Amino acid sequence: MTALLELQDLKVHWPGRGAGWGNAVPVTRAVDGVSLTIQVGETVAVVGESGCGKSTTGNAALGLAPITDGKIFFDGRDLSLLSKQERRDLWQEMQVVFQDPVAALNPRLTVARAIAEPLVIHGWSAAHVAKRVDELMALVGLNADQRDRRPMALSGGQRQRVVIARALALSPRLVICDEPVSALDVSIQSQILNLLLRLQRELGLSYLFISHDLSVVRHIADRVCVMYLGVIVEEGPTAEVFARPQHPYTQALLSAIPRPDIVRRGRKERILLQGDLPSPLAPPKGCPFASRCIKAQAACNRSRPPLEQRAAHRLVRCFYPNSV
Amino acid sequence: MSLLEITDLAISAGDLPLVDGVTLDIQAGEIVALVGESGSGKSLTALSVIGLLGEGLDITRGQIRFDGATYLGAEAQDMARIRGRDLSMIFQEPVSSLNPLMPIGAQVAESLIAHGVTSASAAKDAAIDMLDRVGIPDPKRRAEQLPAELSGGMCQRVMIAAALISQPRLLIADEPTTALDVTIQAQILDLIADLAQEDGTAVLMITHDMGIVAEMADRVCVMYGGRVVEQGAVDAIFSAPRHPYTSMLLRTIPRLDHPPKQELFAILGNVPSPKNWPQGCRFKTRCDRQSTACDIAPVLTGDYHHRTACFHPLSEM
Repeated sequence: MTALLELQDLKVHWPGRGAGWGNAVPVTRAVDGVSLTIQVGETVAVVGESGCGKSTTGNAALGLAPITDGKIFFDGRDLSLLSKQERRDLWQEMQVVFQDPVAALNPRLTVARAIAEPLVIHGWSAAHVAKRVDELMALVGLNADQRDRRPMALSGGQRQRVVIARALALSPRLVICDEPVSALDVSIQSQILNLLLRLQRELGLSYLFISHDLSVVRHIADRVCVMYLGVIVEEGPTAEVFARPQHPYTQALLSAIPRPDIVRRGRKERILLQGDLPSPLAPPKGCPFASRCIKAQAACNRSRPPLEQRAAHRLVRCFYPNSV
Repeated sequence: MSLLEITDLAISAGDLPLVDGVTLDIQAGEIVALVGESGSGKSLTALSVIGLLGEGLDITRGQIRFDGATYLGAEAQDMARIRGRDLSMIFQEPVSSLNPLMPIGAQVAESLIAHGVTSASAAKDAAIDMLDRVGIPDPKRRAEQLPAELSGGMCQRVMIAAALISQPRLLIADEPTTALDVTIQAQILDLIADLAQEDGTAVLMITHDMGIVAEMADRVCVMYGGRVVEQGAVDAIFSAPRHPYTSMLLRTIPRLDHPPKQELFAILGNVPSPKNWPQGCRFKTRCDRQSTACDIAPVLTGDYHHRTACFHPLSEM
């Protein structure tokens, strides 16, 4: 079966600061060889800490970040071989929901006009637009009397519903969700997560779900890719990875989640990492995680471990992973 | 005697009430979490304790006592005397809270010098020691660097060092790890817990993360709509929450041991803004237990171990 989205060895390198002064241009290797696939109806999460390249990966798939190397296939079609018009048509099938609905919405447009915008751009007639906007508002749980409100008159959760309705206007097949609930109040997050799950069931959507919130990812994703310094260090079915993480970084990440559970109190099983993420301007030659890894050996600094299959559907980039 | 006692505190912006009758106390060496969503009044409560309420915000009622002495409405001079020495604060955004043009060592040493505790050179040595204690590698060299040369996690540790160098008796931490990654967050939380234990520093920790509350705090105070709705020992509140809001909040959080992709429990409606607070109980419009009784504001009842402001609390199972 053809994957809906496939990234093949994707690289995004940005010119770093100090470029153009006669020195060798430093390069930020934001994404340094990421391969992943998303099937129809599947949710794949990309997790990792700030600077790991998870958002850049999503932006590159959307055409919002220049690709240095690698290929992107949507429904089997190589994006780099498409004409401008074909790419534009394709963007109807791939939409995005960003973290901050305030920044994503024009404060001067009413709810109805914000949702209608993609339809208008794609030349829908006024009558069709009005009908579709009503449909979409009902779909995401907005009341009809909110049609003429402006974003500032809405709550955070309602604004994110508007952003989701707008993303769904042209019936995309893939929605890239970049931290879609991180800016929302805790009591509102579950409403939006339930909405995303329901929309997926009803519309057969696929999600690329980018998040730093591991509890949310555990709840919503079928598969998870853990990124560190521009590369995937572990990938697998979400339940498997969370139950039996094999990469030392995944283990540290999962152990660091504060759990709302008093039974665990006083039993600190956290793996505390020393130091910070190395600079993506000068990533280490060996394993990118070696400088903070509690298991690192000499070999880890000599060469970079490949992303290898360690069990059914499990890929791990480590010379000394935990066996399952 | 409590180290900090807040009694019936109310804060308004003009006619608009933002905090309405908060009562809270902290003992020496205790970690108390102040939990709430946006507009709950948790940050304003904390800012009023350290005397940093912004322009246009006034304390309209209540009392704040620190170490037995009332200082609410104290002269600015008296406030400045204890702020930074007995009372310190860590903010959410380390980068915007540090002076970008001042070496970090000097920023850490500043409060010692300002309070005339030590000479400038002794303060510098103390700052380097403190940077070492909060886990800044190579502190002697780092002390000369500017905030922009450090990562976000390191800047947060610098701010903690600056807050703790004068060995305050109370540390107020306003979402100290929200801007940080989870592995760095774990380092910072462990650091705060260790310092509280070793130095007997009391901590008022403001957070919206119930996971942090469960792992860090001794007691918790849950705020909604400018009021305390439930407070008491963390064990009591997490094992048997009595206020419907607390109970629902704990149920909405996705958990690592729950079945994935199932519908999560959701609290209906939205967090009301202070302009739209309902009469009486402010949670009633989102509550499944509300009745006409809730048109009158409930008061906190119960004992020190567990207090709730609700006419229809969940009974203990």
